[in-house]
Formats: sequence, structure tokens, C-alpha cells
Amino acid sequence: MVIYLKAGSELRLRLKPDIDYYTRRVETEQGKSIKEILADIGVNPGFVAFIYTEGKVKGLDYIPSDGQNITLQPPVSGG
Amino acid sequence: MGLSDLDKDRYFKQLSVRDWDQERLKSAKVLIVGIGGLGSVSALYLTAAGVGKMRLCDGDKVKRSNLNRQILYIEESIGKIKVEEAKKRLVSLNPDVEIEAVPESIGDQNADELTKDCDIIIDGLDNIESRFLLNKQAVRMQIPYVYGAVQGWQGYVGLFYPPQTACLACILPQDAQTPDTVPIPGVLPGAIGILQATEALKFIMGVEKTLAGRLLIYDSQNLTFDIVEIERNPNCSCCSL
Repeated sequence: MVIYLKAGSELRLRLKPDIDYYTRRVETEQGKSIKEILADIGVNPGFVAFIYTEGKVKGLDYIPSDGQNITLQPPVSGG
Repeated sequence: MGLSDLDKDRYFKQLSVRDWDQERLKSAKVLIVGIGGLGSVSALYLTAAGVGKMRLCDGDKVKRSNLNRQILYIEESIGKIKVEEAKKRLVSLNPDVEIEAVPESIGDQNADELTKDCDIIIDGLDNIESRFLLNKQAVRMQIPYVYGAVQGWQGYVGLFYPPQTACLACILPQDAQTPDTVPIPGVLPGAIGILQATEALKFIMGVEKTLAGRLLIYDSQNLTFDIVEIERNPNCSCCSL
């Protein structure tokens, strides 16, 4: 199946988008969590604070379905 | 507590805003923890709006590298205590606001005293570790917490108020860390600080609809505002205990 990962802020540099400035198309297996998928494509899940999809925040153990868009967010810490 | 003729003159433009409640604002006490890029902006707008009392907490002195975004300070402020400089500037803007300057960083030892009697907390901090501490204190004291954070071109704003909403620890991993250097364009904490002040004003005055239970993610490079729902984590180490 295919999912689309979008990178928030500086995560872009780690995700290496290939569709547009923010988005990477990823082929993966059904039933894998986002954490596992990130590890498969060489992105350290430790750089991701949370994800969101369809307007809701989810944890890294979220299991996406085919064609889903997932946005990855880094921990943002400054002020 | 009524409004004087001077109040009616000063706040003329906002008194006719639908659902605006100046008297409620005048009776409120706001704690701003960290008077840097975010806190400077929130403090300015809350002072201008006529909040009754504000407690400002920050243990730092002004540095030259603060001046790209910490708009309460000027060149002559460098080396001086932030909260004292901030108080001077804010009092000159609106002397009717009672401002308490506490030249301390928040820690376990002073968290109770700092949050005492406050109706709402605004996060002006610059690191994740202190935010977790502030979040924990807000949960414990049951005070609404207006979260804000910036990094690169991106900023977050949220309103946490368990048990009605999730808390910060429901979404951020406990081992999240602050990088040694956090890149921040000066305009970004300006935008996020104003949104935090707006949420605080709305909450104080009971205006629907706030960010409670939701997180706003502003990407200033891509020019997007995403608002996403946050559910409480039933296993949260902070608010589920």
C-alpha cells in the first residue's frame, strides 16, 4: 500500500520529500505502525513528537491505511 | 467593579465587540511564565486590553540576541533584569494594570507560589523541560494553560485544561528535548504570542470558541494554519493520575 508523509517544519530535511516541498510517497505493508514505517525509510522516530491525520492528533503507534495522508510534527521548543 | 469614564475612553474600540466583557477582564489575574519572544507579545496585548492583574516570571537578564523578537526590550535594556524592564514598559502603556514582576525561573520550589491565585497561565518559555513542569503544575492546580512554542518557521498554540481537555504531556513524548540552538525568526513568536493572548482573553471572558482540546499549528513558510483535535491520553503520566 501507499501512504503520503508530510513533514512539519525542519522535519522536512529528514523526510526527504519527493512529491512536493513537504510530502514523500512511501510504499509500505498493511498493518505497520508509523513508528515502524519511519524506521523502514531511515527516519529516526525520535525526531517526531506526534502525528496528525484527518484533523486528529495520533501517537506514533498509529497504523495507517492505504492512501492516507499523515503529517509528522517535531517537538517545537523555542519561545 | 465598574468601569470608570477613563476606562470607557481607553477601551472604547473593544467595548462594543460582541461578547466582550471588560469588567470580567479587569477582575482577572494572568500569570505569564517567561517574558521572552512569546511572553513579551502576550504581555503587551493583555496590558493594552486591560487585564486586571499580571504576574510576570522570568529569571533572565536581557541579551542583545533577544532583541530580534523580544519586543518589550530596547538596546538600553541589555544586561538588565527582564521582568523589571518589562514591567516599566507595560506600566507606561497602561498604568491601570497591576503588574507583579518576579525575577525567578519556574521550578519545583516556587511553582506553587507563582501560580497562586491565577486564573490562567500563559506559556512564554523557551524549552520543553520547563514546559512539562508548568503543564504539571497547571494540571495539579486546575488552572487553564495557554501553550505556545516556536521553532524555525513553525509555531504551536493550544489551550490545556484537564479534565475537560488533554494536557501537554498527552501529546509530547516525555523524552522530548530542546536542541542546543533553536532557530527563531523574530516575527514568529509575534504571531504565536498574539494568538496566545487572544485565547487567554476569550477564556477569561467566556467567549466561544477557544482552542480547548485542539492544537493550532502555524507554518509560516507554507502559510498554513492547521487546527487538529487532541484526545486525552488515558495513560498520560501527568493528567490521568
